[in-house]
Amino acid sequence: MSTPKPDRWRALRLTLITLFVALAYVFAYRGSFIASGSPLDPRDLLSPDLWAKGGPLLGDFLTPDLAARDIEPVTLQLPVPVPCGSAENGAPAASGPRLVPSVPCAEPRDKFTVEGFELQPNTELQLRWRLPSGQYFPGQFITTDADGYFSAEFEARPIVATKDGVPGQIEVELQVEVGELKPSQAFFDVLDGVIVTIFMALMATAAAVVVAAPFSFLAAQNVTRRGPVGTAVYYTVRTIFNILRSFEAIVIATLFAFWVDFGPFAGVLALTVVTVASLGKLFSEAIEGIDPGPVEALTATGANRLQVVWFAIVPQIVPNFVSFIIYHWDINVRISTIIGYVGGGGIGYYLAQMINTGQDNKAGTAIWAIVLVVWAMDFISAEVRKRYT
Amino acid sequence: MLEVQNLHKVYPNGTRALTDVSFNVEDGEFLVVIGLSGSGKSTLLRCVNRLIEPTQGKILWDGVDVTAATGAELRGVRRRIGMIFQQFNLVKRSTVMTNVLAGRLGYVGTAGSLVGLWSAEDKAQALRALERVGLAEKANARADALSGGQQQRVAIARALMQNPQLILADEPVASLDPVLSHSILQYLEQLNREEKITVVCSLHFLDLVHRYATRVIALKDGQVVFTGLPQEIDKARFKEIYGEDAIEVKAGLSA
Ligand SMILES: Nc1ncnc2c1ncn2[C@@H]1O[C@H](COP(=O)(O)OP(=O)(O)O)[C@@H](O)[C@H]1O
Ligand SMILES: [Mg+2]
Repeated sequence: MSTPKPDRWRALRLTLITLFVALAYVFAYRGSFIASGSPLDPRDLLSPDLWAKGGPLLGDFLTPDLAARDIEPVTLQLPVPVPCGSAENGAPAASGPRLVPSVPCAEPRDKFTVEGFELQPNTELQLRWRLPSGQYFPGQFITTDADGYFSAEFEARPIVATKDGVPGQIEVELQVEVGELKPSQAFFDVLDGVIVTIFMALMATAAAVVVAAPFSFLAAQNVTRRGPVGTAVYYTVRTIFNILRSFEAIVIATLFAFWVDFGPFAGVLALTVVTVASLGKLFSEAIEGIDPGPVEALTATGANRLQVVWFAIVPQIVPNFVSFIIYHWDINVRISTIIGYVGGGGIGYYLAQMINTGQDNKAGTAIWAIVLVVWAMDFISAEVRKRYT
Repeated sequence: MLEVQNLHKVYPNGTRALTDVSFNVEDGEFLVVIGLSGSGKSTLLRCVNRLIEPTQGKILWDGVDVTAATGAELRGVRRRIGMIFQQFNLVKRSTVMTNVLAGRLGYVGTAGSLVGLWSAEDKAQALRALERVGLAEKANARADALSGGQQQRVAIARALMQNPQLILADEPVASLDPVLSHSILQYLEQLNREEKITVVCSLHFLDLVHRYATRVIALKDGQVVFTGLPQEIDKARFKEIYGEDAIEVKAGLSA
């Protein structure tokens, strides 16, 4: 019986490896694969193109999307009377987000420029005329520069002429962040994905225990292998465990996808099968490793086989079983993340979606969450096992 | 009466552990089996309750052919034969009480015992058995929290739960120091005298044999080489039984 005995160092190493693999994947996928259109080639690592793409990407991962403020639309307006003198001229503000026209008023069909200052940087905005009637007349789309500045041509159309002393106004709609910093949507989505993944692993592990525990006794030499029938049962169960164990969870998940839709259900089913095989073997080895003395002693009292199993074997294997179960839950969280990545739901699926749609900050959030969860599960499982044995 | 007739045991690997062993044990005897390590003592005792299948020969107990019994019949035979082991063979992670109650498993229904439903009678008997070996206050301790001598007393209490007519004891004191050895053997002697329980016990040390046995049989290489009273075993006989290793065993005696 050999459960690995993880320590802090193992946990740290695990974290670093996970992080490295995730980053390597993203680099490779977004940089090399897309850039060259061909599968991975180590020489691509030297291509400046890769690093040019990878650099900002790395930045995105280091700044995961965790928190955001509420966004409210705010309209910035300034009266520009058409024709001149039909109403009072607008007075641009001296600072803050503002629109500044090159002329205070205009005649119909005049062209003038409007500059915007201290707006959101690098943002696409739509310029428009607000008519005296209250309706608006759409204008061109512009994009602010890094300082939140733009400059654009406007035309004073007859339709914007002052009516009943009310002037037309130039305006732009801004998205303004207001209020406290709150957990972002990505944060909640990631949290949701993590919980789904942990529960997928938990359900698969629990279902597997229910199946593997009884069968593991049949695959234990010291319980079953007596007489021709016992020997046949022993070899049959053992062989089934061995065959199942030779499959990868992901392969089985793909097979199940033909039956049921590829999603969390197929993922859990596949994970269950793999876990049954693995736990079945670990369990039966634990049973074979028990002290045979109590079995002998209770057989000698006239107890039947079921009583001997329950009173002499079960108490001896409980600590091992508990530690194997927790160990497997831990492993299954990792596997179900991967199954999720190929479509099985949970955090893996979210990560795949974000990477494929280029939302790298959100992918970053997911990767950090995976690292955190894998590390935490590893730590918890090690602690529980330490305490229980 | 226990009758062992022409018993042979050949292990699957070809080892001849017992060859044509025959002897009788009268009710109420304290029969001690001596012999070198490997001479077949454990094999012999385990053949009596069929923990080991004899290859050939017969064992009759009160006229019932133990060697022919199967299933429920065999369990019925076993539950009247208590057994004590060198390594105590308690379930270490279970409580003392559970270990003692396990001695009743041959008498109770499977379903009830699996869910831990013991009758008030069984529990009372378990407490009495523990009192008898002086461990009533340890009832709720885990078995592995007890010393070796205490564990062996729990094992005796477990055997008592079977209301046995015969107790097989396979080197019950080989893992204990001399003082504890006497205390354990005195419990067996008491059961033998007061409850008229027949005892078949293998022992290693000559002074213990002289002190407790009412009769002795000696095994050498799986064959009976001596049957008689303990007083008949003098140094010469002892050397005959133990061969060149006699000195070694005597060294153990003086310890
Ligand atoms: N399960 C077994 N398989 C093969 N040989 C065995 C087995 N158990 C005991 N033996 C052999 O049978 C012989 C008698 O052993 P045993 O009855 O344990 O002797 P003792 O109890 O007197 O030391 C020894 O030679 C031992 O090696
Ligand atoms: Mg022995």
